[in-house]
Amino acid sequence: MAVIGVGRFISQRQDYENGVERSYQIEMAARVRIAEGRGGIADRKVVTKQTQKRQELQDRISDDTRDTALLVAAGLIAGLTGALLLFSGLISSMRRPLEELVDASGRLAGGDLKARVEVGGLSETAALGKAFNEMAEQLEHEASQREVLDRMKDEFVLTASHELRSPLTSVQGFAELLMLERDNLTQRQVETVGVILDNSRHLVRLLNDLLDLARSDAGRLVIRPQPTEVAPLIEDSVRLMRAQTDASDQTLTMSLDPDLPAVEAEADRIRQVLVNLLTNAHEYSPEGASIAVMARMDGAEVEIAVSDNGPGIPPDQLEHIFERFVRGEAGLTQRVGGTGLGLPISKSLVELHGGRLEVDSTVGVGSTFSFRLPVAAVPAAAPAEQRSARQKAEAS
Amino acid sequence: MARILVADDSETILLLMRTRLELAGHEVATAADGQEVIELVSGADSSGPEVLLLDAMMPRKSGIDALRELRDAGVDTPALIVSAHQNSTDADAPTDLEIAGYLTKPIDFDLLLREIDALTRVA
Repeated sequence: MAVIGVGRFISQRQDYENGVERSYQIEMAARVRIAEGRGGIADRKVVTKQTQKRQELQDRISDDTRDTALLVAAGLIAGLTGALLLFSGLISSMRRPLEELVDASGRLAGGDLKARVEVGGLSETAALGKAFNEMAEQLEHEASQREVLDRMKDEFVLTASHELRSPLTSVQGFAELLMLERDNLTQRQVETVGVILDNSRHLVRLLNDLLDLARSDAGRLVIRPQPTEVAPLIEDSVRLMRAQTDASDQTLTMSLDPDLPAVEAEADRIRQVLVNLLTNAHEYSPEGASIAVMARMDGAEVEIAVSDNGPGIPPDQLEHIFERFVRGEAGLTQRVGGTGLGLPISKSLVELHGGRLEVDSTVGVGSTFSFRLPVAAVPAAAPAEQRSARQKAEAS
Repeated sequence: MARILVADDSETILLLMRTRLELAGHEVATAADGQEVIELVSGADSSGPEVLLLDAMMPRKSGIDALRELRDAGVDTPALIVSAHQNSTDADAPTDLEIAGYLTKPIDFDLLLREIDALTRVA
């Protein structure tokens, strides 16, 4: 219908345009006669009249153009409406598969690699569904391969750690044996054995740290927090460090709030963190430096901090200190026995306890490393009970 | 002074253990794997080992497996398990074997000697 209408308008427009053409020819003929001196008043009238007539025709053509445009638009709208009505059936039959696809994509993106769609319906949605399923299949396959690789890596680290430990046990054990007989050794031999011992202990620390990190990466560094008294933990760690700080004429002091409540923590792991932090404070600070361990109540947490008045950490290094094998300048120039893994591990361990290892350092003033542990809901068991509880936990 | 049976698949470690333990006045027998442990303990009379010091991981038969067989056979000799892993929590640690304690490699001999003293003093 619309097409017929448009056709009619087009043929009428053709008539108008022919009229304009004719009008030109008539006017031109009259103008020629006037120019040749043959024209009279009638010819002049013809010129005027034809000019008017063409004007009228032009007006009609532009009106028609507008009408045609309107008509075309109306036709299009009518056509589209028809098409929409026609497709609405199609759309509703595509909607369910599409909704299912959207839902499955969401689940897939959310990590559910088992998300699939039912392939069916129109060929287009079926193809889309098939493509989606193939993609999901591929993702799942890759993820499982990655898991296998991760497991192999963990297995490798565990095996390597085990295999290296046996010869190290011999090296360290026989060096200790020699040290037991130091009275029969020359001064130089004693020093030599001392070097062997130092280095084998360093290797053991490296192995332990690497193992912890590998476990941490694999999400297998697990802790078993239980109500734990803070003071004995700190006292233990300080006692372990005392010989080393004394040898460097460093003062090592404790400042603990009286009546500190028990915290929710795994004692061995927090002791490990404290020894790491104290070892850093000791090794990076000069002879005669002061090192302090502080513990205080802060709301529902106990804050523990290890401070030194050593050289401090320059701001540009501060952001890297928790990265692996990153060591301060002192670690490169002085004889520092750390592994470069102590801080990353301490950070992981504190985070496993739900806390955050923080550092505050000023060059020339010193550094403070601190973390918070949640206060335990129930008081710590008596030391004997705690020991047996730990053994039970270890045995399980 | 105690009679101690040490099991490890490394000869060097057995030599180290024997030397350190004998230096501390103990009497030491050695086994290269769990099977040998069972043979030595089962065939022993009243002068058998008073303490077992077993490596958790050994070829043929692990220290844990050997201990399980011994416990099943009614042997209640106190046992210390040596594990190469840093944390005893990693070791496949059964609860039903009455394990007196865990040690990790490298061995802290001061700790080991204290544990042996504690175990034999009670016994």
